[in-house]
Amino acid sequence: MNKKRLFAAILSAAMMLSLAACGGGDKGGTSGSQPSGGSQPSGGSSTSQPSGGDGEKIFIPVMAKGFQHQFWQAVKQGADAAAADLGVEIYFDGPGSETEIDKQVNMVKDQMAKNPKAMALAALSTDAVKEILAECAEKNIPVIGFDSGVPDDTSGAVKATAATNNEAAAALAAEKFGEHEGLVAKMQAATSAEPVVIGCISQDAVSASVTGRTIGFVNKMAEIAEKYQPGKVSIEGHTLWEKKVADPAIIIRVEISATTEATAVQTAATSLLGAKGLAAVFCSNEGAVTGFLAAVSDGEDLAEGGRYADLVVAGFDAGAAQKNAVRQGWFYGSVTQDPYQIGYKAVEMAVKAANGEAVSDVDTGAQWYNAENIDDEMIALLVYD
Amino acid sequence: MKLNEKKIDMQKVLAPAALVILYVFFSVVGDGFLSMTVFKNILESSYYIGFMAFGVTFIIITGGIDLSLGTVMMCAALLGAYTFKQLHFPLIVSLLVAVLVGAVFGFLNGVMVAKLKLPPFIATLGTMMMSQGFGSIITKVQSQTWPTATEPVGGWFKKVFIRADLFGVKGFPVGVFWLIGFFVIAALILHKTKFGRYVFAIGSNEEAARLSGINVDNWKIAVYTLSGIFVGLSGIMYAAAYTTITPGTGNGQEMNGITGVVIGGTSMSGGSGTMVGTLIGVFIMSVLKTGLSNLNLQAPWQTFFTGLVVIGAVLLDIQRTKAANRVKKS
Amino acid sequence: MGEVILKMDGIQKYFPGVHALDNAHLEVRAGEVMALVGENGAGKSTLMKILTGIYQKDGGSIEYFGQEIEIHGPRDAQSKGICIVHQELNLMQDLTVAENIFIGREPSKGLFLNQGEQNRMTEELLSSLHLNINARTQIKRLTVAKQQMVEIAKALSYQNTKVLIMDEPSTALTASEIEDLFTFIRQLKATGVGIVYISHRMDELKQITDRITVMRDGQYVDTVNTADTTIDQVVQMMVGRVIYEEPKSHSNVPPDAEVVLEAEGLTSLDVKNVSFKLHKGEILGFAGLMGAGRTETMRLLCGADKRDSGTIKVRGKEVNIRSPKDAVNAGIGYLSEDRKLFGLCLGLSVADNTALPSLDKLSGPLFVDDGKIHKAATEYVDKIRIKTPTVKTLIRSLSGGNQQKVVIAKWLHRDCDVLIFDEPTKGIDVGAKSEIYKLMNQLAAEGKSIIMISSELPELLRMSDRVVVMCEGRVTGELDISEATQERIMTFATKRELEEAV
Repeated sequence: MNKKRLFAAILSAAMMLSLAACGGGDKGGTSGSQPSGGSQPSGGSSTSQPSGGDGEKIFIPVMAKGFQHQFWQAVKQGADAAAADLGVEIYFDGPGSETEIDKQVNMVKDQMAKNPKAMALAALSTDAVKEILAECAEKNIPVIGFDSGVPDDTSGAVKATAATNNEAAAALAAEKFGEHEGLVAKMQAATSAEPVVIGCISQDAVSASVTGRTIGFVNKMAEIAEKYQPGKVSIEGHTLWEKKVADPAIIIRVEISATTEATAVQTAATSLLGAKGLAAVFCSNEGAVTGFLAAVSDGEDLAEGGRYADLVVAGFDAGAAQKNAVRQGWFYGSVTQDPYQIGYKAVEMAVKAANGEAVSDVDTGAQWYNAENIDDEMIALLVYD
Repeated sequence: MKLNEKKIDMQKVLAPAALVILYVFFSVVGDGFLSMTVFKNILESSYYIGFMAFGVTFIIITGGIDLSLGTVMMCAALLGAYTFKQLHFPLIVSLLVAVLVGAVFGFLNGVMVAKLKLPPFIATLGTMMMSQGFGSIITKVQSQTWPTATEPVGGWFKKVFIRADLFGVKGFPVGVFWLIGFFVIAALILHKTKFGRYVFAIGSNEEAARLSGINVDNWKIAVYTLSGIFVGLSGIMYAAAYTTITPGTGNGQEMNGITGVVIGGTSMSGGSGTMVGTLIGVFIMSVLKTGLSNLNLQAPWQTFFTGLVVIGAVLLDIQRTKAANRVKKS
Repeated sequence: MGEVILKMDGIQKYFPGVHALDNAHLEVRAGEVMALVGENGAGKSTLMKILTGIYQKDGGSIEYFGQEIEIHGPRDAQSKGICIVHQELNLMQDLTVAENIFIGREPSKGLFLNQGEQNRMTEELLSSLHLNINARTQIKRLTVAKQQMVEIAKALSYQNTKVLIMDEPSTALTASEIEDLFTFIRQLKATGVGIVYISHRMDELKQITDRITVMRDGQYVDTVNTADTTIDQVVQMMVGRVIYEEPKSHSNVPPDAEVVLEAEGLTSLDVKNVSFKLHKGEILGFAGLMGAGRTETMRLLCGADKRDSGTIKVRGKEVNIRSPKDAVNAGIGYLSEDRKLFGLCLGLSVADNTALPSLDKLSGPLFVDDGKIHKAATEYVDKIRIKTPTVKTLIRSLSGGNQQKVVIAKWLHRDCDVLIFDEPTKGIDVGAKSEIYKLMNQLAAEGKSIIMISSELPELLRMSDRVVVMCEGRVTGELDISEATQERIMTFATKRELEEAV
């Protein structure tokens, strides 16, 4: 009797698995059936083997850093569009959160076992995938970096990267701060007795993109502040960027949250909001914005008459909450990359590389958006929900 | 009585059978699942979970639980890497540091549970947070890297622990020797030593064990410390497989270890379990994860199915216990 | 005596591999107490589970007030008026008496509980049963006997209760509490309720029951009128053989025997200045009522609890016992009254349980020697006749008597010279009891010294060479067996401090 029960259990588990597998296979099937290469006479659409039947179709895994943010969904859209346009098959996946290095490594290893023609990769840690990259180089599998890419690769497997220049993009926010009349006035009026604080909230000090943005913003901001208070600009908060001066009139404070979770970012934001003389805040990615908004009652504190109505806030990336804050005028504005382009270019370059063509780095650009231009056609395309 | 013996035999074949069935299933359905590369992937993602699970098997059999496994493992890996890269310790010393970190947190857990009489759930919840914070404090929230295979200093790290060109095989998964080696050690300790016998006795009836003249408190501290050492080792295996260790992570990893133990048939109420069950439980999870990933099912699916397997395994366990009890009463 | 209200006839029940009940029979009249007796495993519980709907019968018939009925489940039984009071109390300690009685069917006013009505109904019920218990008292503040009565009151609160089954209601009660219970049962009888009374205590049957039904090996043996039979006859029917009974008339210990254990001025929270001596080859009985501090004294002796003051000497040498480990090393083994809670690791095998205190001796430098363990366990299985398929069998599948023997084996193998038996025959059936007695006598003859705590006076009088009586934590008397009687022991056992002062 027990045996029967066991068999039933295994059988039902197996059935569920194969159901799920078919579901997964179907997805691959529909995305692959749109391009011209789909009309194979063999008609073997029932088999869910992606590269087994028709050997001509190129299979490219696209390994992102996460699924957590809507940003990655926009990248996926771009990647899917490129795959459809170019008639290749892709598999887009990423770990649940951007700290799960082990999950991403396993994911990449599992895809490598399928002998892909090329791979697009946004590595959480280059060191963690070093052996895999070496294997790619050896097997002649070109790797295209995207988003933060694969920094400091030494294997030669990474042929090119499709990415935003993060430092330049974040500097854009600092420049916009320099154009804000109220903020400039405050900076001019600042004294050592009553210093002005400009904050920067970042989710971590690990990932290259966030670090790049932090550096880009801090450096540019310091440069602008020096114009008004020469020699009295102090950079504080995190040892990595610390540049303290005695009796500063303008303090640029970098807050790094303890973990990447929203609650941790909120804690960091709350601590920053407590700083006396806080005049402006820059949040270096969507996660930082989400945590920051949580600390200011979902943005209502920034509105007319709110506790922080005078605070000048700039964000980075997009997402529904951030877009709302910008549209309402709670935010001064935000910088956006072009995630759709990142995904599109990554796949496009991977296909080129797979076909043996030469590829080179692409800057996928950044834009400033605020309440006025957020609904412009050009911008609306870039800012994902 | 005969019926009873039969049931126990069923239990012995159940887990291995499930493992084989899963492997065959994925080999048939999957895309190139039945290959050396995939097999290596399965092994390599099993190492660190295996070590964690070996350690916590002891704790669970005593009727306790350790929620700090994941974060202590990360803390051990972080501090090991920190002493190597930032403080320039010799690699071998850094490895010892990792094991020591595990042992110290294990000892701390043991003292809190045995001497201060804190419920294991609470005590280890505390060390879970403490170890995570401690790792972040020491490393100033900077991620730390262990040496990769090509590095001049400590390049042997990966060759010794994860893969090397051996027996004419390129990239032979040497980690499997460590896993099996320590599995044998753990199994011998659990099933063949006085220590192991006391672990079962404490889990089965702590008061009876105490009244039998066993110093339950000290043995419990030893159990948690031993588990801590295994967690330290799992930190090393994790580092060997994934190189970069991020501060503030490790939450949730403990569930990988605990799940392996539970699937392997160890009872959460203590008093019964086997080390070989744990090993198989760990492999079942790895095969499941790798297999689902091979089917291009994304991470959420893997989590979902692992949950299903855990519930299934525990349900079967309950069924077995019920059946055994029914026979006993009549 | 009233009409027959319940008749179970030809009941059959099969479990996988076991024919648990074969032609079982039971008949209950209104207003009588029918004893149901039999050794453990005789099928009493199974039969009662069928009657209360927990199991379904595989054959036979149940006639209730002249009509054949089927009982579909516990609720069905309850609604038909068949209720059971289990051996283990099923009360929620933190709730009040009223809350316990009406749990699951609380009177309510709209959305809210009607506490007042609930308490009023409870008080009515309790006073109708002549019980002096406050409805608002938390269960944990009541004595075990009172809790037992609350259980019974709860069973009777289902208004139409006609048959009440009481499964060993007296196990946890002291002599005076049992008297209360019996008074209560007699009152209940008068209201016309038929009572099925299950007990292992033979002396109780004479006092309270009208008829006795005996079961053996799942089969019906006979039903007799209590007044017309002797206890010996009942026991013979139960075990199917004659039990050898002989009360001890004089001590077997020579007066000059070596003093093996000497306790002086043992004191803790529940123990007040207790001193006594134990000789080689002696069985020293400890008598007293529940809560007299006997178990607490023994827990001090074996290091389970910390003593505030007092000394313990083993063979004339003082030993500092601070933990069970010290006691075991001094050769003192404790057999708790609650084997399952304190004596055995139920999930381990017979062999592992036997070896537990002596693993040091049974281990090599690294590993335990399973061969040695099995050899040792097998030796004791043979020596003290433990009935088990193999020494690898899990201890939980053994009967109570055999479990007790494993506890004995474990201390014998540890070379303990002093064995403390705390209620050694509690919950053990008659046949196994006499085996345990034989074993204890045999051990004493071999030169072991035994302390035996028992609440059953006949047992104490039969086994002991000397009896120490305790009351409220103090030793109130010491009697040589030649001068000990039930009455004298009871006098000492109820000798309260106040009376003594006067």
